[in-house]
Amino acid sequence: MKSLHQDLIRLLSDKQVLTQPEDLMAYASDATYYYASRVPDAVVLPVTSEEVARVMKYAYEKEIPVTPRGAGSGLAGGCTPINGGIVLDMKRMNRLLEIDHDNMTAEVEAGLVHRQFTRAVERQGLFYPPDPQSAAVCTLGGNIATRAGGPRGVKYGTTGNYVLGTEVVLADGSIIKTGGKMVKQSSGYDITHLIAGSEGTLGIITRANLRLLTLPPVNNTMVISCSSLDQAAELVSAIIASGTVPAMLEFLIKLAIMVMNNYITPPLPLDYEAYLLVDVDGTARQVQEDTKKIKDICQDLGIPDLRIIEDPHEAASYWEARSKLYPLMLSIMKRVITEDITVPRNRIPDFVRGVQAIAADIAIQIGLAGHSGDGNMHPTILQPEINDEINAKAKQAIDRIIRIGLDLGGTISGEHGIGLHKQEYLEWEFGRTQVELMKRIKTAFDPKGLLNPGKIWLEGGDAE
Amino acid sequence: MKKIEEYAEQISRCSHCSYCQASCPVFMEDIVESVLPRNRIEVILRSVIDKSMPLSPRALEIIDRCLLCTNCTQGCSSQVPIDDIVIAARSAISMQTGGLSGVKNLVMGKMLRQRGLTALMGKAGAMVQKVGIATKDMPPLAAKTFDKFYSGTVKAEGETRGRVAYFVGCGTNFMYPDTGVATVNVLSRNGIEVIIPEGQVCCGIPSIAEGDFKSAREMIEVNVSIFSDLEVDAIVTDCTSCGMMFKEKFTKVLETADPLQEKISNLTSRVWEVTDFLNHLGLREIPGPMDSSFTYHVPCHRAWSPTVRHAPRQILTQIPGAEFRELENPERCCGAAGAFYMAHRELSEGIRAHRVQDIKDNGADLVVTQCPVCRFYIGSALKEQGTEIVHPMIMLARAYGFNGC
Ligand SMILES: Cc1cc2nc3c(=O)[nH]c(=O)nc-3n(C[C@H](O)[C@H](O)[C@H](O)COP(=O)(O)OP(=O)(O)OC[C@H]3O[C@@H](n4cnc5c(N)ncnc54)[C@H](O)[C@@H]3O)c2cc1C
Ligand code: SF4
Ligand code: SF4
Repeated sequence: MKSLHQDLIRLLSDKQVLTQPEDLMAYASDATYYYASRVPDAVVLPVTSEEVARVMKYAYEKEIPVTPRGAGSGLAGGCTPINGGIVLDMKRMNRLLEIDHDNMTAEVEAGLVHRQFTRAVERQGLFYPPDPQSAAVCTLGGNIATRAGGPRGVKYGTTGNYVLGTEVVLADGSIIKTGGKMVKQSSGYDITHLIAGSEGTLGIITRANLRLLTLPPVNNTMVISCSSLDQAAELVSAIIASGTVPAMLEFLIKLAIMVMNNYITPPLPLDYEAYLLVDVDGTARQVQEDTKKIKDICQDLGIPDLRIIEDPHEAASYWEARSKLYPLMLSIMKRVITEDITVPRNRIPDFVRGVQAIAADIAIQIGLAGHSGDGNMHPTILQPEINDEINAKAKQAIDRIIRIGLDLGGTISGEHGIGLHKQEYLEWEFGRTQVELMKRIKTAFDPKGLLNPGKIWLEGGDAE
Repeated sequence: MKKIEEYAEQISRCSHCSYCQASCPVFMEDIVESVLPRNRIEVILRSVIDKSMPLSPRALEIIDRCLLCTNCTQGCSSQVPIDDIVIAARSAISMQTGGLSGVKNLVMGKMLRQRGLTALMGKAGAMVQKVGIATKDMPPLAAKTFDKFYSGTVKAEGETRGRVAYFVGCGTNFMYPDTGVATVNVLSRNGIEVIIPEGQVCCGIPSIAEGDFKSAREMIEVNVSIFSDLEVDAIVTDCTSCGMMFKEKFTKVLETADPLQEKISNLTSRVWEVTDFLNHLGLREIPGPMDSSFTYHVPCHRAWSPTVRHAPRQILTQIPGAEFRELENPERCCGAAGAFYMAHRELSEGIRAHRVQDIKDNGADLVVTQCPVCRFYIGSALKEQGTEIVHPMIMLARAYGFNGC
C-alpha cells in the first residue's frame, strides 16, 4: 500500500491523503456501523473537481475501487468501503458558489453541509425545503446521491425534486455537466436524475444546481394526541384525503415522545399511545384555514387532544427533538434498525396494523416514527440486546414488513437508499428485468465496476 | 476517579450518528473524520483500553488534538461523556509515560498551586520563550494581582441582601484583576457582602486537562477545606471553567470512596457563575445609561448551569441605552482552551479566525464573555480593529460608574 500512498500524494498533496490505521478506521462505515467489514486502503480529501478527476483517472487505470463519502451519516451502509480501495471524502469541497435570486437557484459544491447551506439561503429570505433530519451534518452531495428527504416531503417533495443540474466526475476521470439553472429541460436522457439516487455507483457528484423557493412567511406547529396507533394512522389518511397539505406531518409512538422529551421543553405528558406532530405553513390566511381544517377533522374522528404550540422556542424544541430521535432511541437500545418503507398514504392504516401484528407475532419491539405525511413510516426494529436469537427475529420481522409494504403498493426505500442494507430486497420491488436494466446502466457508466462496488443489488442476482 | 477502562461501556453507546461533526471545533477546522469525537473515543478504546492497537504517535496526536471544550458531550444524544473519556485517557497515558513536560509541569504544578508566586510566572515565561512560544501568545500578566486589591470581607452597600464567598480563578488573579474588582464592586453595590477567603488556589482544571489527577486532587483539597464550611448563600466565580470544575469535575476527579466527596456534594450545590447569580437575584438598582452596542461570546464550559448562557444577555440589556446584538453562532468555540493554543498554534488560530470574523460582521462596540482565556485569545486578535472584550461584570461596573475597570 506504500506505493498507493505515494501515488496519491503525488496526485494531490501529503495533507490530502490518509493511510494510517487510526485515520482509516474512521472511514470504515456510516451510521450503520455494524456493516463495517474492513477499512479502506486510503482516504483522499480533494478540494477541487480537477483533483477528484485526477484521482478517478488514476483509480481507473489501476483498477482500484472508489467509494465517495459525504458526512457518513447514511443509514444504508452506502459509503461503507466493503472492497477497500480509496474513500473520497468530499467534505472539503464545501463552498456555496452562488445564490442566484433572479433564477431562484443556487450552485453548491457537493461537500457543503446541508444546514450551512439552508442558513445562508434563509438569511436571504429564500427556502430550500428538503429537510433530512441529519441536516446539521449531512452533505448536499450525500443528499443528492440518496435522494434524501424529511418531514417536509409531504408538501415539498425530497432532494430529487430540487436538483436541476450536476457536475459529475465519471469513472474514467472525465468531467460532465448535466442540466443547469433551467427549471425545465427536454433534451436527451435525464442524466441529472439518474445521478440523483445513484448512491455513488455511477459517478462522483462534485457540484450541483439546486432550485430555491421563497420562504413561507408564517407557520404553525401543533401536536395531536391519539388514543391508539390505528387512530393516528386513520387521522393521517383523513388529513391527506381532505386536500389539506401540511408542511410536515410526523407520526410518533409514545416511546418516541418519551425519549424526545429530553429535548422538548416543557416535556409533553405521555398520556396517549400515538402522536402526530404537524406543521402548516404559507400565508397567514392559509395557515389559519389549514389549522382549522385539521382541527375539524380531529373533532370528527373523536381525537382526544390537539394542542397548538404558540411559543416558537417550544415549537423549535419539538423539531430539534425530532431530528435527534434516531440517536435518542439508540441511547436506550443496543441496536435500532430503521426501515424506510413508503406506502401510498391511503394504505397507512393497513400498514400500521400489519406492522403491529408482525411485532406481536414475532415478539419483537417495532417502533413507528415516520414522515407519515408522505407515507414514509420508518418502522424501526428496536433491539435491547444483540444476540443470535434477537438478530434472527429482527431479520424475520424486516422480511415480513417489506413484504407487506410492497403488497400495499409501496417502495422499500423512500429516502435512505439501498446501499448494503436493503439490497437483497431490490428484486422484490423491481423484478429481475428492471434490476438487470439497472445493472446495464451501471456498466455503461462504470465498465470496470470500480465505483462503490457491491451496493444496491446483490452481486450475482436475486435473493428470493 | 473513574478509570479509563470503566468508560468502555459508554464508548460502546456511541450510535455513530456523526452529529458531533456539527459540534467539534477541531473536526470543523481539520475536516477529517480521524479527529471526530466518535473516532477519538474509538482510538482510545483500541489503543488505551483494549490495546488491540498500539498507542502510536498518530493515536497520541488524535487524543491530544482535543480542546476539552465539551461541545460534543453537550450535543451527543447518546450521552457519551467524550471530554471525560479524553481526560481519563490522558491520565492513563501520563501514568504510563511518566507525566508532563518541563514547562507544563512548572506552570501547572507549581505556579497554580501556590498563589503570590508571581516571580515563578516570569520564570515560566522565560522558559516558554526558550521552547519557541512567542510572547504575544502568553497571557498578559497584571502588574498587581487581584489578591493585592482585595481579600477578606467586603461589606455590602446599604441593606444586605446576601452573602457570598468569591472563588477567584487564576485568570482573574493573574491576568485580569479588573474582572475581580468589578465583581466585588457590583456585588457590593447590589447589597451583597463578599468574602474573599485567603489561601485559595487554582481550581485544578489545567491539571486535569493534562491528565494530572494527583495535582488536581491537592488543589481540590485546599479549596474544599476553605470553602465548604463558610456560612454563605453562594460560592461565586467569575469564570465558567472554574464553575464547571467545581460543579461537575471535582467529584469525577476523586475516587468514589474519597472522604472529600461528601464535602464536595454539599459545596457544589451552592456554586454559581457571578453573572448568573446576580441575574437570579435581580439587580437592586438599574445602572446608569450607556450609549454602546455589545455582543456576547458564550464560553464553551456552560453546560453546568442551564441559565449561565442567558444571564449576560438578560442582565446587561437592563442598562439603558445598551444595544444587544446577537452574534452569529454565539456558542462557537474560540480555539484557546486553556494552554491548548500554545501547543496547537495553527489549529487554534484557524478556529479563532471564524470567531473573530463573526465578531467583525456583528460590528458591536464591545464583546462580553465570562471566560478569561476567551477574553485574552479573542482579544489579542481584535486589537488592531480596536474592539474591546471584557467580562460582563466589567460592563456592568462601568454602567454603575466605577472607574478603573
Ligand atoms: C440521526 C440520523 C437521522 C437521519 N435522518 C434522515 C432523514 O430524515 N431523511 C433522510 O433522507 N436521511 C436521513 N438520514 C440518513 C442520511 O443522513 C442521509 O442519507 C444523507 O443524505 C446522507 O448524507 P451524507 O453526506 O452523510 O452521505 P454519506 O452517508 O456519506 O453517503 C451516502 C451515499 O451517498 C454517496 N455519496 C456521498 N457523497 C457523494 C458524492 N459527492 N457523489 C456521489 N456519491 C456520494 C455515498 O457513496 C453513499 O452511497 C439520517 C441519518 C442519521 C444518522
Ligand atoms: S454525537 Fe455522540 S453518538 Fe453521535 S457519533 Fe458523536 S459521539 Fe457518537
Ligand atoms: S471536547 Fe471539544 S475538541 Fe474535544 S472532542 Fe469534544 S468537541 Fe472536539
